Amino acid sequence: MIGWTDEQRTLRAAAAELGAAVGKDHLERDATGEFSRDGWALVRESGLLGLPFGTEYGGLGADLLTTMYVLEGLGEACRDGGFPFSVTTHVVSTGVPLHRFGSAELKARYLPGVCSGSAIGAHAISEPDAGSDMMAMRTTAVLDGDDYVLTGSKSFVSNGPIADTYLVYARTGKAGAPDAITTFLVERDSPGLHVGQPMGKMGLKTSPLSELFLDGVRVPATRVVGKVGAGFLVLDHVMKWEILLSFVVNLGEMEHRLRESVRYARTRKQFGAPIGSNQSVSNKLVDMRIGVETSRKWLYDTAEKLVARKNVTTDIAITKLVVSEANLASALAAVQVFGGYGYMTEYGVEKDVRNAVAGTIYSGTTEIQRQRVAAMMGLG
Amino acid sequence: MSRIDEITRYVVAEFAPDIRADELDADYDLLDNGVVDSLGLLRLIGWLGERYDLPVDDIDLAPEQFRSVRAVDAFVESALVKGPAL
Repeated sequence: MIGWTDEQRTLRAAAAELGAAVGKDHLERDATGEFSRDGWALVRESGLLGLPFGTEYGGLGADLLTTMYVLEGLGEACRDGGFPFSVTTHVVSTGVPLHRFGSAELKARYLPGVCSGSAIGAHAISEPDAGSDMMAMRTTAVLDGDDYVLTGSKSFVSNGPIADTYLVYARTGKAGAPDAITTFLVERDSPGLHVGQPMGKMGLKTSPLSELFLDGVRVPATRVVGKVGAGFLVLDHVMKWEILLSFVVNLGEMEHRLRESVRYARTRKQFGAPIGSNQSVSNKLVDMRIGVETSRKWLYDTAEKLVARKNVTTDIAITKLVVSEANLASALAAVQVFGGYGYMTEYGVEKDVRNAVAGTIYSGTTEIQRQRVAAMMGLG
Repeated sequence: MSRIDEITRYVVAEFAPDIRADELDADYDLLDNGVVDSLGLLRLIGWLGERYDLPVDDIDLAPEQFRSVRAVDAFVESALVKGPAL
């Protein structure tokens, strides 16, 4: 078990306070699918967006475990599940790859905007015909003089409608080859870049998402992030961070949900006794608790292994699968515990189910995570 | 066994089980010829990290470093000599 310092606990408490403030009007904004601009202003002031990045760029220089612990606090307190998703998307989509793979020039130019939140980040990976199979992507980048010319379209771009900078993954080599993809930093106002309208979706409604269209967008070769052909390796690094940071938020959400469900099961009486005294109810709460504890172990154990520079390719896939499925099971169980109240939108319990389904799809579906683990076992 | 032989044996065992190790030329293009795909590349990098104690998450990786058995051997040599590119 990790022993957190007073400084780490203070940071987490600040994130929780921020999350509570942002989530105040979560039901209204979930109904209209509205991103909280006021919340973004608060998160910018807090310094949270620069947590894991160097102080020379305006970040706080926190390590991975501290960053996770603070985001767990944000998830525990913020009832607007879409907002922390936009926060972690911003941090991992542009900040993490720039910090790890960016040239000195790119870091100096773009990381301060990531840390301050003045330039919202997004990444564009999936395409209409290439979701989990990213190596089949059709968006191309062709070298022309000192620029690459990007042509194609991207789907499901989280933060797409509100982003200022995009990390676009495009094909620079033979289709299907592991060295075929390259990562480019593209600014929103680039000629030929068109951002689609926000798309309606089942959950995470307050985190806007859109398509992205690239019609001969010229990107200076100096804005390649990492080496040409190394896009798959850049994305592998990004996915490790995305899974740890996005899903530790879900851990916080599960902790809050469990606490509220236990409180309700102990106070709600039917047939003269608290509903939690029935094993059919208490078993659900025990399973929710097991989900919390299992998720916590996988998240922080994997993070510690990553920090210790161990290979976590299998661990990260298992972590993603375990936490996202536990979150969905927890959200469904909470609806059952709250009964009719859980089903009504005004109590905010059903919303968690819709949000949790997204977690089993983005960052690699549950099915793809199993396939990845199988591949690492030499089975595919 | 030399390191290049060890890498060859691993690549054959994991990605080309239908051939013998002495049939795989050290300069054969593993990526263009589809021997190692994207997930295979992650497996190979993971194995190299554990076998030779390389901090692969700190090294500036590029697919070219894994194009052939000889390239992989050179990558390991470079990583061991220079240490991580922090």
